[in-house]
Amino acid sequence: MDDAVAELFEAVQRLHDEDATVVTSVRLSSSLREAVKAAVRAGMDANPNDAMLNAVRDRLEAFAQRLALDLHYERYPDARPSLAEVAVAAAQLDDSPLAHELDLLRRAADEVVRLKPDADADDVLVYAAALRSGQAAHGTTSPAAATS
Amino acid sequence: MVLDNEAVQALLDPTHRKHRTVLAHLEVRNQRQRGRRANLRVLVPVAVRVEAGWDRTAATAADINRISSAVDVDLRRAGADRAVQLRQTADVSVVDATVGQAAESATHPAVILTSDVDDMTRLAATLEGDVRIIGI
Repeated sequence: MDDAVAELFEAVQRLHDEDATVVTSVRLSSSLREAVKAAVRAGMDANPNDAMLNAVRDRLEAFAQRLALDLHYERYPDARPSLAEVAVAAAQLDDSPLAHELDLLRRAADEVVRLKPDADADDVLVYAAALRSGQAAHGTTSPAAATS
Repeated sequence: MVLDNEAVQALLDPTHRKHRTVLAHLEVRNQRQRGRRANLRVLVPVAVRVEAGWDRTAATAADINRISSAVDVDLRRAGADRAVQLRQTADVSVVDATVGQAAESATHPAVILTSDVDDMTRLAATLEGDVRIIGI
């Protein structure tokens, strides 16, 4: 692990600690500044400062977690969940009835990566829903067949 | 997403039989956060950390610290009072009561990742807001 990644992990873990603040300057386009102000007025966050901080924090956390997960899978290849397993988790988190259709999700995961190699769990859920809908409406076996 | 004791145990140990299952939920969190489709926060009540032996300063915890992105839920006075109420109402353990309190105080809808579906379902029925149980 290089120094920058190690420093990132260490810093990200302190993001939710109460911390001293520093004033820094960031160059924003005027359109972004106006969009942030409008979004705050529309209720996105309490103020423009929070809006900017939350956006940066969320990106940092997601980026660091992705790096950490990938490093973990390098060390423990068997720990990597399959796309179908992640899709099941996504369905459970969404309280979707698809969560109980394991065969359908496995099949959807198998088929969707042939169409989209970088497919994620939400792609599988959409594909699985289309499979099920196609079966119900047309008695067909794939979304592609259902639309032909 | 609130982690209970076994969810943490599963994350701590790559050979745990539920390790991949919990990682699958973290993958969803990461995929959706990177795609800006949802901001799902992972929470761990401090009592769960104590029970599971998750010392964030230990070298052995480096992986779980990083892959979980979990935020500690501290137990202050009001939270402790609520955990006491939940423990009495749902007849659950001290640690499980803090899991319920953390879920209740989280942004809703909230989910509890747990191996103890029966107890947690009973607990969830006493919580305010939209809290669901996901068995691992």
